[in-house]
Amino acid sequence: MAYTKPRPNIDGDIQPFWEGLKNHQFLLYRCQQCGAWYWPAAFCRFHDNQPFAANMKWEPASGRGRIFTFNVHHWAFDPAFKEDVPYVYALIELDEGPMFGTNIVGTPPDQVRIGQRVEIVFEDYPEEGFTLPKARILEEAPS
Amino acid sequence: MRRCAIVGMGMITGPQPGRTARWLEAEATRRAIEDAGLKPSQIHGAIQLRRTGGGGERAFLTDAFPRVLGLPVNFYFTVGRGGCLAGLGVAAAMSFLDLGIADYVVLTGAVDDYSRSRETKAKGALGMVHLEKEGYWGKPFGDLRAPSHHSFFAARHMHEFGTTSEQLGMISVQERAWAQLNPEARFYGRPITLKDHQESPYVVWPYHLLDICLVSDGAVSVVMTTEERAKDHPHPPVWVLGVGFGEAMAELWWEKQNYTRLAVQTAKEQAFAQAGIELQDIDAAQLYDCFTGEVLFQLEDYGWCKKGEGGPFVAEGHIGPGGDIPVNTSGGLLSAYHFGDLTGLSEAVIQLREQAGPRQVPDCEVVLVTGHGGEVLSPGMCSIHSTLLLGRN
Ligand SMILES: [Zn+2]
Repeated sequence: MAYTKPRPNIDGDIQPFWEGLKNHQFLLYRCQQCGAWYWPAAFCRFHDNQPFAANMKWEPASGRGRIFTFNVHHWAFDPAFKEDVPYVYALIELDEGPMFGTNIVGTPPDQVRIGQRVEIVFEDYPEEGFTLPKARILEEAPS
Repeated sequence: MRRCAIVGMGMITGPQPGRTARWLEAEATRRAIEDAGLKPSQIHGAIQLRRTGGGGERAFLTDAFPRVLGLPVNFYFTVGRGGCLAGLGVAAAMSFLDLGIADYVVLTGAVDDYSRSRETKAKGALGMVHLEKEGYWGKPFGDLRAPSHHSFFAARHMHEFGTTSEQLGMISVQERAWAQLNPEARFYGRPITLKDHQESPYVVWPYHLLDICLVSDGAVSVVMTTEERAKDHPHPPVWVLGVGFGEAMAELWWEKQNYTRLAVQTAKEQAFAQAGIELQDIDAAQLYDCFTGEVLFQLEDYGWCKKGEGGPFVAEGHIGPGGDIPVNTSGGLLSAYHFGDLTGLSEAVIQLREQAGPRQVPDCEVVLVTGHGGEVLSPGMCSIHSTLLLGRN
């Protein structure tokens, strides 16, 4: 079936992140000087940076975090999402610190709660040439 | 700095099928210049006020309204970030006026969102379709419209403070009550109850349909000048008492601490200090109300109630007709018309000129107008807040 949903909007700043996803790697942008993690790409805010942030590199990260807040889409604003509603769109506070927005999959919307632990899972669309990072709830006690 | 004032206003409301936003800009500007008792040849500068956000860029104009209208301006440019247009535009206009390189500046914003949404709905989409910004994150995940990410704030406020949908609904009900006093409002003649709010479908939980602003066609234009000329016009001047700005991107991204408030603090401090007033001096508040949650946050952030207590506060009333702090007296973006913060600006001018008819706030001398951009973290970054204080004296 043809892929009718919006495709990822990949600009030059974030392309390595999308390349990593295809290899099932969840990369964050990390400062080689102080170790701080960023997503999406940024200059390190804790000190001076090298030109074009040469002190920053994409590195594999845990892909784990906690639901910071979320919503449940009951309307398919785009008809391509008709089969998906109701779906959960969440803001995840990654263990490394950055915030990350994606869908929670594998759990009915009415069982999703702020504070639940989650892990990134990879949805491959090889014919489209990309992999979407989604999240599933881990069986750990929320806090 | 020289004192500046609004001395003319033009406004267009209601569906405008077949008219471009450019044409609406030109007509609203023509009305504003006429309202000020001026001729087009007296306008030295023009600023286009443009709303962005809500899931992307609006398709916009290849031509400029000063060209359409034949204004002999020496400068013309566009400002706007999210729904924050009036604050930025007024601050920009004041600098040109204070420099003495313009006697009169016209500021104009128009939207054709209502007509555009009718077209895209006919093609199967629910609402407007936007041009995508480069690097836009959320669309593959179904983050498609403003409710897709603004609702994060409301859900977090509910989580932290126990705020309920019924409490948010009371904001919607009270704004709708104001709209019953404004014949220009989209939902004039259609009051709602809390039950109507609760029974309206969830669009994006926790927001029901009646928590969400409408889309409009229309335009607002104002003419500004300095104190040397402000009293030489048919209507009494509406003075700019203070203007300030806040930006929350740093704390949103890194401190993760303000998912329950907007970037009000610096904006409020700056504007109130310039005006030399306190919160209790505000006679009416035109608070940016893209969603009910934003009104609740601002009532807390400006200090009408404590952080976290906005829910019980609005449930008691306070903000509707007859309340002690009249909020969004036109009906606001929720019930009247959506021109970004130009909705609030236009209502402030109407109230301060005492032209508001049945919704006139008695002895209205100082009005607060706020602007807001609510796209945060996902999909984009539009976390501005503006505070504009307007007054009769
Ligand atoms: Zn660093």
